[in-house]
Amino acid sequence: MSITLDSPRAPSPRLPAVRWGLSLACLGALLLAPQVVDNYFLHAMVLSMIFLLPAHGLNLILGYTGMLSLAQGVFFGIGAYASALMGIHFGTGFVINFLFAGLFAALVALPLGIPALRLRATSFVMCTLGLVVIAQAVAKNWVDLTRGDMGLSGVSRPKFGFGDNVFTVVQIPHYFYLILGVAVLATLAFIALVRSPAGRCMVAIRDNETLAESLGIPTWTYKLLVFMLSAAFAGFGGSLYAHYETVVSPLVFQMYYSNTILIIVLGGGLGRMSGAIIGSFLFVAVTEALRITPELRMVLYGVVLLILVFMFPHGMAPLVERLTDFLSRVGLKKPLEHSDAGSVGGPHGR
Amino acid sequence: MGDKQVSAPVMLSVRGLRKNYGGVPALQGVDFDIPTGQICGLIGPNGSGKSTLFDCCTGLQASDAGQVLLDGVDISGWPMHRIAREGRLLRSFQKTVVFQTMNSEDNLILAGQMASFPGVTSTFSLGGASRARVTALRERARELIEISGLSRVAHLEAGQMSGGQQKLLQFATMLMPNPKLVLLDEPLAGINPVLIEKVIESIQEANRRLGITFLVIEHNTDVLMNLSHRVIVLHQGQKLADDTPEAIVRNSAVVEAYLGG
Amino acid sequence: MFNFIFEQIVNGIITGSQYALIAAGMTMIFGVLRAINFAHGEYYMLGTFAAWYAIERMETSYATAIIIGVVIAALISAVIGRLVMQRLVGAPFQQGVLATLGVSLILQNAVILAFGGGYKVFNGGWIEPVEILGVGMAQQRILLIVVAILVFASLEWMVRKTRMGKSIRAVSQNIECCQVNGIDVESVVRRTFLLGTALAALSGILTAPVNVSVYGGMGEAITLKTFAVIVMGGMGNVRGTLFAGCLLGIVESLVSGLVGLQYRDTVAFVALLAMLMLRPHGLFSQRARF
Repeated sequence: MSITLDSPRAPSPRLPAVRWGLSLACLGALLLAPQVVDNYFLHAMVLSMIFLLPAHGLNLILGYTGMLSLAQGVFFGIGAYASALMGIHFGTGFVINFLFAGLFAALVALPLGIPALRLRATSFVMCTLGLVVIAQAVAKNWVDLTRGDMGLSGVSRPKFGFGDNVFTVVQIPHYFYLILGVAVLATLAFIALVRSPAGRCMVAIRDNETLAESLGIPTWTYKLLVFMLSAAFAGFGGSLYAHYETVVSPLVFQMYYSNTILIIVLGGGLGRMSGAIIGSFLFVAVTEALRITPELRMVLYGVVLLILVFMFPHGMAPLVERLTDFLSRVGLKKPLEHSDAGSVGGPHGR
Repeated sequence: MGDKQVSAPVMLSVRGLRKNYGGVPALQGVDFDIPTGQICGLIGPNGSGKSTLFDCCTGLQASDAGQVLLDGVDISGWPMHRIAREGRLLRSFQKTVVFQTMNSEDNLILAGQMASFPGVTSTFSLGGASRARVTALRERARELIEISGLSRVAHLEAGQMSGGQQKLLQFATMLMPNPKLVLLDEPLAGINPVLIEKVIESIQEANRRLGITFLVIEHNTDVLMNLSHRVIVLHQGQKLADDTPEAIVRNSAVVEAYLGG
Repeated sequence: MFNFIFEQIVNGIITGSQYALIAAGMTMIFGVLRAINFAHGEYYMLGTFAAWYAIERMETSYATAIIIGVVIAALISAVIGRLVMQRLVGAPFQQGVLATLGVSLILQNAVILAFGGGYKVFNGGWIEPVEILGVGMAQQRILLIVVAILVFASLEWMVRKTRMGKSIRAVSQNIECCQVNGIDVESVVRRTFLLGTALAALSGILTAPVNVSVYGGMGEAITLKTFAVIVMGGMGNVRGTLFAGCLLGIVESLVSGLVGLQYRDTVAFVALLAMLMLRPHGLFSQRARF
């Protein structure tokens, strides 16, 4: 078999180690951040970690399964309301509210997904947009439950401990650690999903749904499950938001949040495990820290979207991947690599 | 790996299959049987309904009328994935399709997955049982890659392989989940003539060693006649003949309609 | 009671004409590009803003403002057509969604940055009431219906008789065939886009005297309602949008009159979701093409 000029080389065996190393290094840096950086920047990072969760969800449904859904904001908002209301009406603590939020969002996604997933791609997108509007209308008009435009305030702060030893999370550095912990767990869950056999099915559905089905994969079932899972991720993120801002109003359903989540995943890298992480750091932490007004930020997002769509459909992740690839080959002997001079011949290694 | 369930003597039985595409009759009442363990050829001029027949048997299209029995089970109306998974009927496509962004190994593991895992929920697990299954699938995939001669390009995304390599991958995919019946839609089209021999051998080997029944559409009639135990001829949506290759070649109606003269 | 219902229906037809005008544009663009223009409402907003600016700051008459508004919206749309829309020919639909979403973000927020986010008051238009068939309404509203009828009649004529119309039909049906036959598909796309967005802008300027408030975010709500109309009418079906638009207008009117004003806007989205779930190919066609 001839090998073309551009044929990529087989991954270096050191790649997993490099990836782990980099990830742990980043994690270490984050753990040290509150000692080094002031509250203003911590706040920016907290927001980026909160948005990481719905972004993972969007990456799951769009990046890995190929379904464009603009409804992540809907489930984010539903999670926020669910979490807040749970605490307000039942006095439950953060952990229960958090779990409830994600589960509730997934349950709402079920009856919505069943008819919606029958639609073709374009109609499906419009359907998800319609959900956004309906959610806004419900939040504004079901005043008995949501207090309409006034919103819910006084959402309980996360508390840990029993009896006399209760620790309430109020200061930003404490929130930072709490949300970092949740973000790490969410990321691990995401990676687990994506590397499971089900994750392979998702990519198959993305690449060629008919082919996947002809090989025995019940594509509709997987799409529904992915829809529910991504809703859960968004709902969990909404819960974090509610307990961090301690206020939830219909504004949480604005397109602003959906757009942010979309930019995070597109900019970071669709279909890559690190996509949401790169994206949320780039687009949320940085823009928050730079104190850009919401309108200007949206203009930037618009410009970035256009650039991404036409020039970098894979986002920033390929650059990061090239870096890790480079690092993993440092020190490996040259003859093991394919020659770049174009001649076919000589030992073909690896 | 190979199960020892006894199959019915007839693997695929089609009765009265009809299909219209908006007024154009593609299949007009087709009946035939494919005996278990044989390689059957399916020939006919373009537009005679061969691919439509495949589509209807595999559930890609719903037939307008008729019945399809797979190993004695009525699969009429079954969804495509059920036919593939429960029925263990696979088909290749005329235009070679593989999963473009996955490498060969993952393509093959994917093909074997649904047969290997008991259900959808089990595929979400990363536990010991799940990993063991994937390991077994991976080994099998590597074997198939080796046998197909794709080792050197195995690490590439399937979309980066050449057309011929993708075709070989597609064929290997058919073998992964231990199917009972495989429908091949022009497996030799677009293949380097040097490799035709190899593909034919693979089909025969799979048939002999694994007991897979094959139904093969192919325009390269010489090769097909040598390969098949039986040949079915379709013409204008109906079965024109169904016989051994030797008899088909001598059948005057077939010669006139298709084999040329 | 009958009088009341009749009045609502007439009102409904008028707002329906407004929706139909905008929807005709979006559906034509969808026809040639197979892409949903998520920024469509922004051209409605741009036209209105430009007209408002002409009246407020340049002190022109309303009639002049109409022309200025459409021209400015057209200029902006021409730029976008060349930079963005024509690149979407043959692109996967996701690209279309995301690109037009990007455009919408830019247009909407640029206007807010330039003019502030507050509501502006539109001071022009012929709002003296006239009585027709026992129903009193502003002259402006009659103008809206008349323009809508003229526009749809012109579109019918254009599609049948002119070369541009035939090119549009051809591209809507089979892009590859057109490319092979030497039809400049990009040019057709740009011109259709220009026409479609100009209609949206016109609709905005004609409705502004009645709606009175002008603000940067007004396009977003319109875009979503327009989705409902084009889905009901059948995506790509221009005639369908006329009927669907009026139907939506009438139902909205009846709901707001009989049930409550605050539910008016939800009608469109309930209609959209219902259509998508039950009859995604629209009220008038048989099978789904998209």
